[in-house]
Amino acid sequence: MMSWLVRLWNILRPGRLERELDRELSFHLLERADELQANGMSREEALRTAGIQLGNYRLYRERTRDMDIQQWLEGALRNLRHAGRALAKAPGFTATVIVTLALGIGSNSAVFSAIYAVVLRPLPYPQSDRLVTLEQFNPKARQPVIAPVRLADWNRLNTTFQAMTGYYTQDSSELSGELPERLTQAFVSRRFLEVWGVAPALGRDFSPAEEHFGAHGVVLISDRYWRRRFNSDQNVVGKRLRFAQLSATIIGVMPASFQPVRNVDLWSPSPDDAPFAQNRELTWYTGVGRLKPGVTLEQAQANLNAVQAALAREYPRPDAQISPVVKSLKESTVGDARTSLWILFGSVSLLLLIACTNVAALLLSRAAARQQEISVRFSLGASRTSVAAHLLSEVLILAIAGAVLGLGVAAAAAKVFHTLAGNLPRVEEITLDWRIAVYSLGCAVAVALACGLLPVIRGTRENLTGSFRNNRTTVSNGNRLRFTLVGVQVALAVTLLAGASLLIRSLQQLGQVSPGFDPEHILTFQMSTSWAETGDFKASMARVDRILDGLRGVPGVENATVDVGLPGVPSDYQVELKTDQGRAETEPKILAQGRAVSPGYFTTLKVPLIAGEMCRDQATVRQMMVNHAFANAYFAASSPIGRHLSQPGNIYVPASEVTGIVGDAREMGLDKEPVPTIYWCTYPFQPGTRFLARTHGDPALMSETFRRKLHDIDPARSVFDMKPLTEQISDAFAENRLRTILLSFFAGAAILLASVGLYGSLSYSVHLRRREVGLRLALGALRLRIVRQFVSQGLVVSSLGCIAGLILAIAVKRFLAGMLYGVSATDPTTLASVAVLVLAVSFLASVLPAIRAARLEPMRVLRED
Amino acid sequence: MGARKNDILQGTLVLLVLETLAGGGPMHGYAITSHIHHMSDQMLRVEEGSLYPALHRMQQAGWLRAEWRKTEKNREARFYSITPKGRKQLQVEQESWLRLTEGVARVMRAVASLELR
Repeated sequence: MMSWLVRLWNILRPGRLERELDRELSFHLLERADELQANGMSREEALRTAGIQLGNYRLYRERTRDMDIQQWLEGALRNLRHAGRALAKAPGFTATVIVTLALGIGSNSAVFSAIYAVVLRPLPYPQSDRLVTLEQFNPKARQPVIAPVRLADWNRLNTTFQAMTGYYTQDSSELSGELPERLTQAFVSRRFLEVWGVAPALGRDFSPAEEHFGAHGVVLISDRYWRRRFNSDQNVVGKRLRFAQLSATIIGVMPASFQPVRNVDLWSPSPDDAPFAQNRELTWYTGVGRLKPGVTLEQAQANLNAVQAALAREYPRPDAQISPVVKSLKESTVGDARTSLWILFGSVSLLLLIACTNVAALLLSRAAARQQEISVRFSLGASRTSVAAHLLSEVLILAIAGAVLGLGVAAAAAKVFHTLAGNLPRVEEITLDWRIAVYSLGCAVAVALACGLLPVIRGTRENLTGSFRNNRTTVSNGNRLRFTLVGVQVALAVTLLAGASLLIRSLQQLGQVSPGFDPEHILTFQMSTSWAETGDFKASMARVDRILDGLRGVPGVENATVDVGLPGVPSDYQVELKTDQGRAETEPKILAQGRAVSPGYFTTLKVPLIAGEMCRDQATVRQMMVNHAFANAYFAASSPIGRHLSQPGNIYVPASEVTGIVGDAREMGLDKEPVPTIYWCTYPFQPGTRFLARTHGDPALMSETFRRKLHDIDPARSVFDMKPLTEQISDAFAENRLRTILLSFFAGAAILLASVGLYGSLSYSVHLRRREVGLRLALGALRLRIVRQFVSQGLVVSSLGCIAGLILAIAVKRFLAGMLYGVSATDPTTLASVAVLVLAVSFLASVLPAIRAARLEPMRVLRED
Repeated sequence: MGARKNDILQGTLVLLVLETLAGGGPMHGYAITSHIHHMSDQMLRVEEGSLYPALHRMQQAGWLRAEWRKTEKNREARFYSITPKGRKQLQVEQESWLRLTEGVARVMRAVASLELR
């Protein structure tokens, strides 16, 4: 510390030191001259001789400048050069350490790049922390979308928001190609761009006149669409865009970073003053708001509650039942992915810790091998700091080389994220930028300190016990530390492996679940539809019926149906129902999941009929099916068949008669038990409706046939999202898959590192004890005994590590709890098989050095020293 | 600069300086060289070019204290004296020196025995 202050002083006052030295040296010169003169020289001669002896002042000054920072830097560079040379002489050691660190730092940086892009970085809008989502919560109809009039009221009456807006989307068709292409269009309420705080990159925002009902159609296009369709034409503003049955004038191009809704290419105004938008019961806006500066979520929520309370007095029906919900936009966007990513980050940090431990063990043996060299340095007057600096420079070089190589790993991993987790929020924002590089370098420095410090402290201990004596005495001590480090590695690897195995087991269990329907041989797709069309029920239902008929006519197709969702893909549409007979107040409310399906749904998906009869096509009466769970829950005593059920508050669905009971199916998601469900037998036709067709052969092979057939039936509609149902279900669990695959990869790497560590430590131990082994062999010890001794040493270390790892795994089980399916976090079978696997691997890692020990030539070893 | 027969082995200079200062009171650089020269029966000669940088280093390490004073000839000189920390360091240096000589002696014996064969 003191010397640093002096150095600093020297930088600030460079002259002082030189002057002092000058004075000191001239004093020396005079004294010397005096002495020479006393021995009989003339004064002049004496001065000259003294001067020659003393040599050139400047030379000394150069040498004395040791205290300068420049000198210090040169020293550091020299250290690095020496370290580089020393490492080049040990290529095996160097390569092992660099690869280990590249793996550790690289995978850590990769996961960090995802965490950074998805969780840490603000959303790409100005002051994005002020953006919130707005929902209206109605306990009777769980739809978060908001009625346009209500949103307008909220916006007008609140005092905490700068502005509120809403949007809805629909799919349209781009007809310029051979087949119609999907084009997603968003209809946005007033103040849309104001809320996001983004201006068009080219052109202008909507004008108030354009936001009125009946105004001429205008559209803002996305950067992606502008590049694809218009070849980045700078003069695109003012052109007319024709798509599907509509046409609109392009008034601007949005910046590339503006993607508040996935896949949207066209933004058009949605007139809030349209006559059909004045009903308080008709809801369709997904709400977004921008808070005023300094307003908290709680304040905004309280303010909006008060606003809604006032509306409830004014419009008791239906506003009294509705409550507003304000959530942070970022939280709603990335909330679910956050846990997964942090778990991955935790595991990858464990991996880095294992890599560090491994490298520390390698460095320890290297330091032990160089003890002689270090002792000599000490004896020749090197300070502890300088020896430590020398050793640390080596580690730093290794760590930085590892980090640079690791960045390559991270770059590759970004691609893995894009392919494995296409539906992860903000996945497109995961890139390798300078921040990730800085993070990697930071990791490298931390790693250098963490791995390097232990060997350096041990290697540079001042009181080296008998540095010039045989270093065998220090061996047992250092070896114990090495084996402790190996034990730690095994423990951490076991923890990771336990986590990975539990996730794999969960996926397996999920795969073995009997869903109650048959998802195999089903091809699913969507067709573009506009909300405007849905006004004409008859035409829409006829259209869906015509398409289903056409599909049934395709050779190889057994049956076809439509469903508003996809069975097996998580969904939630809870409704409250009333029976025509009425129910006592004391009886529980009838709550069920509602699905709108066409009558062919049950045969197509092979959901069995249990009682009553299937609802029929073209039935004059409105019909409905219920599942077994529904009948059991609400009509256990009687039968629901023949009852009429209605949904209060839903003006679209009149009362329907229950005609039959079907088996329970896991339609809300494979991982959820079947719940009471009702099926409205109708022809759902709104945007988002899924077509499902059962095929005889592989459904994926029918795609082209389907596309051509659908083009024949309806040439103006785009067909998209065409995938087998099994693939849709597996995509819905993509996040599970991502974390399972990555965690398995990390666990594999961890086991590999731990066994390399065990192997290395045992090999080193064999090397150190070769004299003893040689002696024992010379005295007639059995080779098998030698093998057994080393193998059991390895197994003891890994068993202890295993036990510690399992305890650790059980201790951190709560992190995994919500992600497991059909297996408990402390599943004995899984944990036992992890232990067996790890012990088997450690046996392999121990047996090689042990055999090498047993093969030692006694005479050669004994002669060595 | 002529032959460097009796140049002092690098690293031992610290030992010699500390030893010299531990024996007596404050001394200036010139007195230190003369002392080492005399005590070693003219065998060891301290190079000024090594001495002064070494003195500065030792001062920075806190082993020495330095101050400007007048000599009996009324010249300004920088007088060095040993600190308690310096005395501790002296002990360390002595031990390390003993180890070194022991090591060297072993090597020399080994060389001698080889030559005898």
